[in-house]
Amino acid sequence: MPGIDECLLEAMRLPGARGAALVDWVSGLALGTVGESPGGDPETTAAEAAELARLAAEHGAFASAEGPDGERPPVEDVIVSNRDSYHLLRFVDTSFDSSVFLHLWLNRTEGNLALARIRLGEMAERLVLG
Amino acid sequence: MTVVDAPPPRLPVRPRPSAEPARGGVSPMLTRLAAERATGALIREHGTLYLAEGRVVHAESPLTPGLDVLLTAHGTLKAEVWHNAVARADERHGAARLLLSGGHLAEGALELCHLGALYDAAYFALAPSSTPGRFRCGIAHRLGPVLPVAVADLEREVLRRRELLRRIWPDARPDSAPLVRTHATAAPGLTLRQRTLLERIDGTRTATDLARELGRQAFHTLVDIRRLAAAGLVAPRDAPGPAGDGETPAFAEQSAYTTDPHITLLKRLRDALEAL
Repeated sequence: MPGIDECLLEAMRLPGARGAALVDWVSGLALGTVGESPGGDPETTAAEAAELARLAAEHGAFASAEGPDGERPPVEDVIVSNRDSYHLLRFVDTSFDSSVFLHLWLNRTEGNLALARIRLGEMAERLVLG
Repeated sequence: MTVVDAPPPRLPVRPRPSAEPARGGVSPMLTRLAAERATGALIREHGTLYLAEGRVVHAESPLTPGLDVLLTAHGTLKAEVWHNAVARADERHGAARLLLSGGHLAEGALELCHLGALYDAAYFALAPSSTPGRFRCGIAHRLGPVLPVAVADLEREVLRRRELLRRIWPDARPDSAPLVRTHATAAPGLTLRQRTLLERIDGTRTATDLARELGRQAFHTLVDIRRLAAAGLVAPRDAPGPAGDGETPAFAEQSAYTTDPHITLLKRLRDALEAL
């Protein structure tokens, strides 16, 4: 059963991975980080990614049509792309109350966004279910 | 004609209510214990930090729901499983190890929930206090180690969290006072989490009570409460009058409802300015 560090190291084995973090989107705290981060400061990156995740999670326009059930995150992923990289945020669904997501930073030339999205979803699930 | 050019008297300045200690640390004692790689429990006014070789392994505060509440409130663990693990824990096998080896919890889930509870309790434990902290050497928590946190990281996060709350709404009174709703109907644009919180505000519950009832971290609850306060939907209940004046919470709540909106706005503005 993987812990936080193993989960982040596994994410770093994805092709093109530059950095990964587990972040709480209410407080902006990074619960774990590995690899690089844009700008070189993982704490700033975590706080900025948390702000983006919070907006996605809190605005009804992005929630699924089934409507929120209160306990689960309303959003699965947030994807941001720029000229040289992808950012993939994956919300972690826990059975206790929490507000965390996995943040993966991918190099655009080597990264495979579709593969990374599927794998990160599996990792998020294994992290909390074992 | 002589012109008297007397400068006006200086405006009085109130001392800042909670002067920050010198830059860097929130607790000089904690910084020293970290440098000495101490093991034991640092007991402060609003909570206790457990250290192992200078790193924080656990934190508890009466103002936050503990790990047990967070894990049992939504059915992640059954209460008897938790109690059983705590009762069987000894120096070699902490309760955390027992929960993992018994297959009751995934390692990632435990680490995640534990770190959340640790930072949550530490925020309150490291709040400015009026009494000095005490350190009891060699005390370990029954939970045992999960993921230790460096003292410097924890202190930095506590300061960042204070700043986060201050930016949302500078008045700290809603953090600890019983809360009242200032509008009968919930405003649109609230998140589901805020709505759930708002529904339970009844003039008697504090943020800590609400966090415990909902099985949410207390700091996360404070973030929502301050956002609701900033939106003018929630206010701290005014301090009750002398004992026995018969004012019930229901009355306090009602009087909050009937207040003129202009007056409540001015009051909130005044409170916010005073808290700056």
